[in-house]
Amino acid sequence: MRVKASYVLLFILPALVLYSLFVVYPLLDSLTLSFYSWKGVGPKIFVGLKNFREMFFGSFSKEVFNAFFHNIYFFIVAATLELSLGFLIAFLLASKLKGAKLFRTVVYMPNMIPLVIVGFMWNLFLNPQIGLVNNFLKFIGLKSLARPWLGDPSTALLSIILVNTWRHLGFYVLVILAAILNISPDLIEAAYIDGASNRKIATKIVLPLVLPTFRTLLILLFIGSFNVFDMVYAMTGVQAGPFRKTDVLGTVFYRTAFGGLGSAFTDMGLGAAVTVFIFAIVMPLSILYVFLVERRERAW
Amino acid sequence: MRKLVVLLAVLLCVLVLAGEVNIWSWRTQDAEVWKQVEQELRKMGKDIKINFTAFAPTEYDAKIAVALQTGTGPDIVYSRRLPGGRTQTMIENGLYLPIDEYVDFSNFSQTILNSVTFQGKKYGVPFAVQVVGIFYNKEYFDKFKLKEPETWDELVEIAKTLKKNGITPFFIPGKEAWALTMQHAMCGVSVLGPEWIKKLIDGETDFLDPKFTDLNRRLNELKVYYQDGFLANSTTDMDAAFAFGQAAMVFYGIWGYQIWKNLNPDIQVGYFMVPPLTKDQKPYAYVYMDGAITLTSNVKNLKDSVEVLKFCATPKFGTIFANITYNIPAVSKAELPKVPILQEVVDVYLNHASPYVYWVGSVFVTQKPSLYDDVLSPGMQEMYAGKITPEELSRRAQDAISQWYEPLKKRLGK
Repeated sequence: MRVKASYVLLFILPALVLYSLFVVYPLLDSLTLSFYSWKGVGPKIFVGLKNFREMFFGSFSKEVFNAFFHNIYFFIVAATLELSLGFLIAFLLASKLKGAKLFRTVVYMPNMIPLVIVGFMWNLFLNPQIGLVNNFLKFIGLKSLARPWLGDPSTALLSIILVNTWRHLGFYVLVILAAILNISPDLIEAAYIDGASNRKIATKIVLPLVLPTFRTLLILLFIGSFNVFDMVYAMTGVQAGPFRKTDVLGTVFYRTAFGGLGSAFTDMGLGAAVTVFIFAIVMPLSILYVFLVERRERAW
Repeated sequence: MRKLVVLLAVLLCVLVLAGEVNIWSWRTQDAEVWKQVEQELRKMGKDIKINFTAFAPTEYDAKIAVALQTGTGPDIVYSRRLPGGRTQTMIENGLYLPIDEYVDFSNFSQTILNSVTFQGKKYGVPFAVQVVGIFYNKEYFDKFKLKEPETWDELVEIAKTLKKNGITPFFIPGKEAWALTMQHAMCGVSVLGPEWIKKLIDGETDFLDPKFTDLNRRLNELKVYYQDGFLANSTTDMDAAFAFGQAAMVFYGIWGYQIWKNLNPDIQVGYFMVPPLTKDQKPYAYVYMDGAITLTSNVKNLKDSVEVLKFCATPKFGTIFANITYNIPAVSKAELPKVPILQEVVDVYLNHASPYVYWVGSVFVTQKPSLYDDVLSPGMQEMYAGKITPEELSRRAQDAISQWYEPLKKRLGK
């Protein structure tokens, strides 16, 4: 049956309108705004490429590149932990151990807690005096390891990444688990018959077959790492302390566009330039992600 | 019939909404103030419903800027003091309205009114004067027979005694960099003195002056008397720790008193200004006008909003405000609660307020890079973390402010 194009358009029109209004328009407006200087109030002054020059070569560049490298660090650590722990846990869950079903639910539970609540909760757990973490370390005789996690420049960002990992791990476990369960049981059985150990099965059969899923998850992790804002905001605030050690492009944008406490100067145009920078980094990966997913669907 | 129902519904809406005034602020502690203001206005025959909403301070300014521009803002907002980039921008774009024609300002001093005046017009009713300094737990001072220090060295001796006896001398919210800047500034007005700050403002000295570096060094040396892990603590942690006696002293403002008393009504709090270096120097306190209650361009109920503003300019409002928040009202002739610490702080405000400052209300925070946001806030954290020296902090201040501050540029021949 041939479907008229006009009917197709009619059915997708509401979604298209909403998408245009809440995604396309803000995107284009942001891009346009990046060529202006605007305090958020009053007239916008066209400045051309000045914001980008300021961001890459001017006095603002130090702050931007500091945050940019933190985003890269965030990605490397988060990806390593999420994928390795995700695979390990998914592999154990797939091996039908006692309590696997229950653990499957438990591992996903942090994903259901809103990010801001997670940040608030872990702020309390990581409190240097009364926090659960330091008091537990003291209780088990590891007082020397207790530290001001969010106040120590060497541990602040890592602490946020670990909390972020804890929050999202369940998602990666479930996706990797689905990929593992998709592997034909005949392959595993044949490997066992041939005398392969569990370790060999995991590394020589399961892992290679799950790699395409890893690729896709890696892209999602990259996008997530460069879009991160709420966790940092919830745990160290918009000033991203101590002394910008937890600063990411998201907090730089927020601070520049909206200002932090005591800030006398804001520039939404400069903030928009930061978002264009984030977009330019994330967009190619997003296109690649869509391409990979579509390719896999066609293969199925 | 349907038309009648619609008409009645509209009339009901008008009646229900009539007499409502919406106020936005960053001060959650003022909710009770507005309830009492409502009651007082009702006694005066003015049936006005006040809807008070408070937002997180870090989001407040952006929130009102967006709301007022889109016409979704309230009738009245709390505005920041002048001079100030934000408030000036709002005024210049017609989002804050002058109220000279509505309000009688005879109960305010000219100094206070300077903080709400722009190009000869007044843009708000000042509501509070904040005094910052060192607040201490009297119980510990009595226990160890300590008295309020008159010099910096005496302050250090007090800290030593407390630490020796197992009491944390100072609780510092190091995670909130603004509080460290406030600490630096309140020490500066006493240790450096207003004369030195005036010289700085006039370009007769600069941030590389050994006196400024000496202050940085003294603060850096004081950190051995702070709680362990202080760079990870917030002001919320500080409020709880101080209220429940886990630390003896805090560098804070009088607005904290209401919070501590709410947490622990039994705490006895004392106050002293940061002491100068020697006894022959006069101690000073950092005093600033907190903000003003301002009429916005989004006002939907002008008549009642004006009534609210008029009331805010009366001593009666000051009495309500002071008795609930324990802050010093900006309006004079208010009846203050008979709380010794408040009387003491008022005395400091009247007789020891530094006429020259370098934190809020100063020229050094009006442009970027700002001495507040861009230098002292991250710089104090770095210095306390041992990442930079006191000398480096001075150099950063010099490099930052000399980029745009004309008297300093002239001094450096830029």
